[in-house]
Amino acid sequence: MHTTTLRVVVILLLAATALLAAQQARPPALVTSAEILGGLPADGSRWITFGGNYSNQRHSPLTQITPANVSRLVPKWTFQTNTLGNFETTSLLRDNVLYVTGPQNVAWALDARTGREIWRYRRELPATGLTACCGLVNRGFGMLGDKLFMTTLDAHLLALDMKTGTIAWDAMLENYKIGYASTIAPLVVKDKVIVAVAGGEFGIRGFIDAYDAQSGKRAWRFYTIPGPGEPGHDTWAGDSWKTGGAGVWVTGAYDPEQNLVFYGTGNPGPDYHSDSRKGDNLYSASVVALDADTGKLRWHYQFTPHDVHDWDATEVPILADITIAGQPRKVLMFANRNGFYYTLDRTTGKVIAAKPFVTTTWAKEVGNDGRPVMLPGNTPDEEGSRTCPDITGGTNFWPPTFDPSTQTFFVNAREVCATFYAWKPEFTPGERFTGGAAQRVQGPDSPVYGALRAIDPATGERKWEFRYINPSTAGLLTTASGLIFSGDGEGNLMALDSRNGKLLWHYQMGATMHGTSPITYMLDGRQYVLVPAGTTLTAWALPD
Amino acid sequence: MKWTRSVLMVAMLCVIVGVPLAAQNLPAKNPLEGNSDAIKYGMGLFRSRCADCHGMDARGIRGPDITQVWASGRTDDGLFKTIKGGVPNTEMPANPRISDNEAWQILAYVRTLAAPAPSDPPRGNAQNGEKIFRETCAACHRVNGAGGRIGPDLSRVGSARSRESIVTRIRRGRDEFLPGYAPVMVTPQTGDPIRGVKKNEDLFSVQIMDTGERIQGYEKEKMRAVEDGIQSMMPAFGPDRLSDTDLDDLVRYLQTLRGFNPAVPQ
Repeated sequence: MHTTTLRVVVILLLAATALLAAQQARPPALVTSAEILGGLPADGSRWITFGGNYSNQRHSPLTQITPANVSRLVPKWTFQTNTLGNFETTSLLRDNVLYVTGPQNVAWALDARTGREIWRYRRELPATGLTACCGLVNRGFGMLGDKLFMTTLDAHLLALDMKTGTIAWDAMLENYKIGYASTIAPLVVKDKVIVAVAGGEFGIRGFIDAYDAQSGKRAWRFYTIPGPGEPGHDTWAGDSWKTGGAGVWVTGAYDPEQNLVFYGTGNPGPDYHSDSRKGDNLYSASVVALDADTGKLRWHYQFTPHDVHDWDATEVPILADITIAGQPRKVLMFANRNGFYYTLDRTTGKVIAAKPFVTTTWAKEVGNDGRPVMLPGNTPDEEGSRTCPDITGGTNFWPPTFDPSTQTFFVNAREVCATFYAWKPEFTPGERFTGGAAQRVQGPDSPVYGALRAIDPATGERKWEFRYINPSTAGLLTTASGLIFSGDGEGNLMALDSRNGKLLWHYQMGATMHGTSPITYMLDGRQYVLVPAGTTLTAWALPD
Repeated sequence: MKWTRSVLMVAMLCVIVGVPLAAQNLPAKNPLEGNSDAIKYGMGLFRSRCADCHGMDARGIRGPDITQVWASGRTDDGLFKTIKGGVPNTEMPANPRISDNEAWQILAYVRTLAAPAPSDPPRGNAQNGEKIFRETCAACHRVNGAGGRIGPDLSRVGSARSRESIVTRIRRGRDEFLPGYAPVMVTPQTGDPIRGVKKNEDLFSVQIMDTGERIQGYEKEKMRAVEDGIQSMMPAFGPDRLSDTDLDDLVRYLQTLRGFNPAVPQ
């Protein structure tokens, strides 16, 4: 064959191969529920739901970055929000594009290769009257089809066009003027978008909603406080159920086998002064298992009956199938703000293991009936009563993680006690309705610190810990190469060996990873670790 | 970007338009003083928003004792502005999200904790106190731009600290220290230990001001030791080092210190 002809053939062949490779690499135009069900793929090409997969394990199969080479990580790019307020988000990745929500309901599509903005969305929020208790934050997108879903501080659910960031539909969840807000990352299950409302400090009646992803029409609503005639209604004295709170602001998990979603619910209100709401106050401070198609309650477990310490159970539930005492068990793992770690049977809601993972003074243990065995002297009053953990709790909304290969649950834990005060509040719609306050106790006999703790879900026992100077509020990420990414209370991003807690690498980000979790993905043959901290998003990878 | 600018412009308009209007309408006396509902809500607001720094009893932790503010001559409207606007160049933040009504409620509550004005006639000679200050304290403490930096700046110490709390700090200064003044000793691999006060710290580094007022950060793993001290670098001035009369004079002087205006007069 003539040399030139050969060259042409080779070039054509190469081009065809490249085209084929590109076509293979390109995912279908529309996000399908099967794709979400597939979770984190081995090729690292996507992270398309809050917890990586429906089990919320946040455990990536990627292995390019290892304990041996993690110390060589370098920043590839940094994105700055140029907004007021900080990230509390989990970013999503699909087809080499990142979808990121920020403070004040601003959101972006970014080129995952370079961090350059593709589009930007900003919600026109009301100038006054927003009631989000604890910052104008958002915890992330959900996605399905050609749409992204985002909740808003004025208690709406928006569908945005993935390609342009323009609004496809806008559904109101509730009236923000009477205390409702929404900060939760939506969970897409089949054709529905599941969201919920915050407002436990404002006398709301909490609920979890599902909306049709195409039309924005509401498919079902589950009130976290049962109405008259419903089971559990009698756990609220008088009319207290009407203002009982129990907001939901952290994304749940989904078990496709049982078709159940699991959500942790918020504190009852008023938070500290509880004379008006005698009873267990179901389903506050609980985990509820709901049928994903209908929103009907299958089972519930209440971690903190009649909570008086503002211990929302709005932590991230993690699902796994593990072996306990030689038996395969389908479990739900939950490190709770109240200081206890729980392993529940997720088919029944029964307790398998429950053990404090931080200093806990309000309950001796969890009894055989699943109820905490209370210790005296922990009811807040005008004089103040000292209890551990404090109001922020043993942990909180920052995501934990689970490594199935070693059957280990990881959580950023806080060791802090507080003096809790209570006084009778008056209810005014849209105003704070907490009936008390708490003040951190710190001194030689009450040291304050934080720790990354590895917990055996079979027993609740601690495997190891890595201590921080101050409590951390960072979410976690583990990888199949044996790494755990975390952040401390001083703004250090760090990588540790997930088998033993040995620190391998750290970098001072200049802001803490408050409630954010890193994600990891592959792009052009390179593994990235993406870290939101403060107002920046930084992509880390090994050097060329 | 446009949005950021418009937010800034709105914020600036608020500053330009809002503050003078608010100032014009501001009553000199707290309209809610003695109102039992206001006191109750004010207690909640105070405990949740203010008590971390000022203490549940308002007698001061890292922020000053504010049971003494009226006794020290502050007025309701002035305190209202302090709550809303903060104190520039201090840790007291502005609180734009506290409404006017809430600010008055907080003051109505704090008023119930306020100590009566001291009935004792003021003691001591401020002029001599200033002399003692220059000889004994000024190496470490700064007043109106002059003096040392290793201890806290005392330019406004008289505006909110009670006589009692100032006396305690002088007599038993070793026993406690404020954040930013914790004693620390850094020992390099070679050379003498460096003593100073800790300005910041994380797991990997510590930032200090040493006794020579050099501010410097040190990486812990490169040091032989980094040790926290237990006692403040402030010496205890017992009666052997500072007589009761001299103490009276010194405190009298410190009580005259009501804030340093760094602006250059035009």
